[in-house]
Amino acid sequence: MTLLILQAIASGVVTGCVYALIALSLVIVYKSTDVINFAGGEIVMIGGYAGMLALLYLGLPYILIFAFAAIATFALGALFDRIVLHKVLGRAVPGQSILVAMVIATVGLSYVLKGGVRVVPYTEEVRRLPPFFTGEPIFIGPVVVQRQDIAIIVVAVVVMAALWAFFSLTLTGKALRATSQNPRAAALVGIPVRRMRMTVWGIASALAAIAGVLLAPKLLMTPDMGVIVILAFAAAIIGGFASLPGCIIGGILLGVIQNIVGLYVGSNAISVAPFAVIMLILALRPQGLLGGRVAAKKV
Amino acid sequence: MLELSGISASYGAIRALENVSLSVAAGRIVCLLGANGAGKTTTLNCISGVVPLTAGRIRFEGEDITGWPIDRIVARGIVQVPEGREIFPELTVADNLLLGTWLRRRKGGAARDFERIYNYFPRLRERARQPAGTLSGGEQQMLMIGRALMAQPKLLLLDEPSLGLSPLLVQQLFGIIARVHADGVPILLVEQNAAVALAASHHAYIIENGEIRLDGPARDLEQNEEVKAAYLGA
Repeated sequence: MTLLILQAIASGVVTGCVYALIALSLVIVYKSTDVINFAGGEIVMIGGYAGMLALLYLGLPYILIFAFAAIATFALGALFDRIVLHKVLGRAVPGQSILVAMVIATVGLSYVLKGGVRVVPYTEEVRRLPPFFTGEPIFIGPVVVQRQDIAIIVVAVVVMAALWAFFSLTLTGKALRATSQNPRAAALVGIPVRRMRMTVWGIASALAAIAGVLLAPKLLMTPDMGVIVILAFAAAIIGGFASLPGCIIGGILLGVIQNIVGLYVGSNAISVAPFAVIMLILALRPQGLLGGRVAAKKV
Repeated sequence: MLELSGISASYGAIRALENVSLSVAAGRIVCLLGANGAGKTTTLNCISGVVPLTAGRIRFEGEDITGWPIDRIVARGIVQVPEGREIFPELTVADNLLLGTWLRRRKGGAARDFERIYNYFPRLRERARQPAGTLSGGEQQMLMIGRALMAQPKLLLLDEPSLGLSPLLVQQLFGIIARVHADGVPILLVEQNAAVALAASHHAYIIENGEIRLDGPARDLEQNEEVKAAYLGA
């Protein structure tokens, strides 16, 4: 039994790393623009299909497939912000919140992407990408881990480290954080706030796309695979929807919870687990596991 | 060097400024005094490009900058220190200062500017690695001025720097403002604390209900009966 639990934890950590990437994508958009991105899951899906097209048409190796998907979705996210959200913001009436309109715009984007992708060949049937690595699984003690899963963890950790370095070591990263903490003050030192928002949308979309390419060999790809975003929402909420380390812990915790639930309660309960986690956290500890106070955002 | 001629501005249907003209000559400290809601902050925000004008022109060093976006105006050399505690609370004090150099980030030379700012505000050097949100109100005010100076402004706009500070701190702060000015930065100062502002300035304007009521050398206004009664509490 212990072995089963260890095995469940190990594979939970793998999927949890992917949930964490998607959660990071949602939270950095929320922190810097106050918008909850309901198209997050569809951007994951687009990333997966972009990876598939790069493989089928261009025959790229995996490292370039990641780059291709990330760049394509960076452009997608930045353009959505520039073309749609800027327009919505521009119609703001002083004293009235424009947030609802912006969130609805992201819901619109999710449908546009889902519908749009069906026009592309290869999406009418369920597919998956080939594994990154094949070969004998690796034993860590008694636990069996696929090489593929180790690759997923490595990619996720590298991406998270790069994100951390960008936000804490580069001037542009610091300017992005400054813009999210105090847009007014950022504008007054000459930081182009609008361009910063575009950049955040681009980075967040690239993160989601990398998660999509990581998932594509593991899950079946369909235009509806974006529903996975609910797991990322749960992960983000575990982190209080504000903390980036909280997203990572939340994602991994959720992956493990899912597998433990699957083990003890049954596989039918797995899909309920994230919702139960969301409700529990919101009821008992809305500020997230990492503490801090309940954020009262000034609008 | 800065000249506003007949500017007006409004928020929706509410008129905030009406035909305001004022100028700041090179090397001067000029203050704009008035009650809460008289239009002082709006005037600064018009200069910075935050609030659009409905009429009038703004010229800086002979160039018409009316309607320019904020970042272009900052790059041109007009930097505003806003009212209140407009810092980046989760970034360190040093990073807050560093972001002041954003528009000239490719030119370098930030190290020298840090040295200069830390000379004005030794407290900021001591706290360089702390998150800015942990600073006291007075220190945050100093941080905002320091951040603005990192941009190497040709003209500094100060919005209510004395707000919420103890008299001792206000005195200290105006001592530093005088030093900054002596080092060659002209200042347009907005204040409710008329006594302190007049003592620090060369020239003063008095604004009421969005219109300039009175202007003249600060010394003269200090003696003006009307000003004494309305603003100096005498």
